[in-house]
Amino acid sequence: MKQRFKKIYSWIDERVHLEDVVNYMGKKYVPLHSHSIWYYFGGVSLFLFIIQVVTGILLLLYYKSGEEFAFESIQFIMSKVEFGWLIRSIHSWTANLFILAAMVHMFSVYFGKAYRKPREVTWLTGMLMFFLALGFGFSGYLLPWNELAFFATKVGTDIAGIVPLAGKPMMMFLRGGEEVTGATLSRFFGFHVAVLPGLFTVLLGIHLLLVQRQGMSEPIETGHEAGVERRTMPFFPNFLLRDLLFWLIVLNLLAILAVFFPWELGRKADPFAPAPAGIRPEWYFLFMFQTLKFIPAKLLFLDGEVLGIGLFGLGGLLWLLVPFWDRKSSRGEQNRFINYIGLFIVLYILIFTVLGWIL
Amino acid sequence: MSRRTLYAIAVVTSVLLRSGPAVAGDQCITCHETLGDKPSTLFKHDVHSAKGISCAGCHGGNAKAEEMEQAMDKSAGFIGTPKGDDISKACANCHSNAEKMKQLESSLPTNQWEMLQVSVHGKLAVSGKEHIAQCITCHNAHGIVSVKNPESPVYPLNVVKTCTKCHADAAFMRSYNPSLPVDQLEKYRTSVHGVRNAGGDAKPAECASCHGSHDIRSAKDAKSRVYAVNIPSTCASCHSDAEYMKEYKIPTDQFEKFSKSVHGIALLQKHDVGAPACNSCHGNHGATPPGVESVSKVCGTCHALNADLFSSSPHKKAFDERHLPECETCHSNHEIVAATSKLLGVAPDAVCSRCHHENDTGKGFVVARTMRLLTDSLESSEIHAASLLDEAEQKGMEVSEAKFKLRDAHQARLQSRTMVHSFDEDKFRDVISKGLTVASSVGSEGQHAIDEYYFRRWGLGIATLIITIVGVSLYLTIKRIEARQRAKKSLS
Repeated sequence: MKQRFKKIYSWIDERVHLEDVVNYMGKKYVPLHSHSIWYYFGGVSLFLFIIQVVTGILLLLYYKSGEEFAFESIQFIMSKVEFGWLIRSIHSWTANLFILAAMVHMFSVYFGKAYRKPREVTWLTGMLMFFLALGFGFSGYLLPWNELAFFATKVGTDIAGIVPLAGKPMMMFLRGGEEVTGATLSRFFGFHVAVLPGLFTVLLGIHLLLVQRQGMSEPIETGHEAGVERRTMPFFPNFLLRDLLFWLIVLNLLAILAVFFPWELGRKADPFAPAPAGIRPEWYFLFMFQTLKFIPAKLLFLDGEVLGIGLFGLGGLLWLLVPFWDRKSSRGEQNRFINYIGLFIVLYILIFTVLGWIL
Repeated sequence: MSRRTLYAIAVVTSVLLRSGPAVAGDQCITCHETLGDKPSTLFKHDVHSAKGISCAGCHGGNAKAEEMEQAMDKSAGFIGTPKGDDISKACANCHSNAEKMKQLESSLPTNQWEMLQVSVHGKLAVSGKEHIAQCITCHNAHGIVSVKNPESPVYPLNVVKTCTKCHADAAFMRSYNPSLPVDQLEKYRTSVHGVRNAGGDAKPAECASCHGSHDIRSAKDAKSRVYAVNIPSTCASCHSDAEYMKEYKIPTDQFEKFSKSVHGIALLQKHDVGAPACNSCHGNHGATPPGVESVSKVCGTCHALNADLFSSSPHKKAFDERHLPECETCHSNHEIVAATSKLLGVAPDAVCSRCHHENDTGKGFVVARTMRLLTDSLESSEIHAASLLDEAEQKGMEVSEAKFKLRDAHQARLQSRTMVHSFDEDKFRDVISKGLTVASSVGSEGQHAIDEYYFRRWGLGIATLIITIVGVSLYLTIKRIEARQRAKKSLS
């Protein structure tokens, strides 16, 4: 067996010089410190994305887009297709865990100032991937064409329509018309299975390439502890196997969630029915949704919702561009202000998400 | 004869012939009567004249003036013969004025003009200038008498004639409502109400009894007394009044029974206007109880399939021979309750057992018993399948399609209730078999979903165990590799 593997390895090595890559990997080390645990969330996010791709492709074998078929096809997947229920449930649960893992990864990078020079582009690609992940969530939510998804999409695209100037055309583009209809479903399906995955794959390639090329970033404080020997761990096999162990834990968690809490399908969307009570977006949009509900309709001369969306837009932009305005961290100096901002945002998201859930 | 001489004769005549309080000293009557004017003659017997109201009450002018120019002086308020809506407005001047009516010691309501305006007759006439009906259309202009007076055109015995002046005139009615029949009178005369009315009995219903008088609305108007949902209470206003109906010696509990019936619940509680009201079975203008032979025809207008099956069944002949009303014998008449399986079979509360007994020579008893067993078996299969689906659903399994399919079993059971009327065991068994097949297939799907639920639980347990073993092995491998690395490092 070992001989056969060696033979295959030599065959590939002769053609693509695999030895160089193996040597490079052998020399790659991961810093070891009290915050090393957070490194694994990047890998977990990647693992969850892979699950999404695989389960998504399997769902595509049976899913039919269109007002008349979408709901029924999911119903068919859930009740007739062998293990269809498991695939659909895993896809839905993974979507949520993926965004959660990506969020944890993003905040760990932020608090560790890993975005600082020379990793600005890694941060940018990561952030863009996070926005795409939200897009995946928003577009995928509508695809079963059930009542909750229909009205949540209506509310979501309504909010997009509030944006001054670009809002209305953007809403029309997203909906494929004035209202949420089968046309909206078709284009959301297109975004979900073609446009977003295409963009995401390109960004993911750049992101992984940069991580491999530049290695893991070390927090400023741990990298500058005088007299302390810099501890590391070989990337291969130590870190990779640990990553794998994390993946197995996540897989177990997913299996339990999918079996014990199968993702419900609800009732088929009826555009003429009144909106059911308790319409709210997915949990990751909830803090923004709740904020918009709290803002008064008019603040001075400004429309409350426009102001809210404007502030979130501006906040998102500043967050995206943090490597370029946090000069202190780039110089290797401590920047507590960044920590306070991060802490405020984490608390804000937590509180408003809970409020959105209970109110 | 000069005009002056004519007046002199008129004045002398009036002094000699004065009669009635209003007429006394009323120059209008004095002159117009002399001229042979019919209205003035009629007015002498008018209820208004008796109350001291002169011609000027409606026509304006000065009733006391002896000179025609003065009496009919427009500047003194003379309006001549009112036209169009001015006629009703002239009546409403007093009849809508509670104060004036009180002074005249009248107990009449004062909202007739208001009610007329919202009625179907209050719509604009084809001329577009006036309402379809004015007060005088029904009450006449001169010689108006109390509604209790048999001379009145709105006295119960005269109402039909008054209404049909227009309503039996096809050419006239075409201008307003071409789809409205004009044969109401003809039908009415064949009804129990109409026959009695023609015989001089003022108590049975005439047009106004059901349609109202001033506030007549279209039968499609939910406020109309003859709107489908309101018909039972309109009929009941007389037919449930034991005192009023005493002399006719017919029951007065029809409304009470109907309210409890499947038809009554649908109509009165669910407001299903498609459900039958009294007139659906008895007719409206030609209202009469259906005869024994026509009961099935009446019910069959809605329950067509049941009626057809019954007509071609062996029961048809048997019922005819015994002069039994077809549907009513088993289902009753006013108090028809929702048909359940309990009606079928040979148990004491089943209707079949009223005629079929165990020791009879015919096979009716056996067929009834078999039919009941079959319908019971379908019902229990349906309940069993539904409970399996409920259990699967509670366990979070997707069974919506199976639930939808189960409707076919229920449908077969409903269909079997129709098929009962053929009293043919084989036909009945065919329908039941279809239902049983569906219920059995759905039951299997439910059981499969429950089994699948436990399979998933076991599958999860095994998968979790395998993943955990792989995880633990991986952890041990990492530890072993790192121990080897540490040993290697310490050696170097």
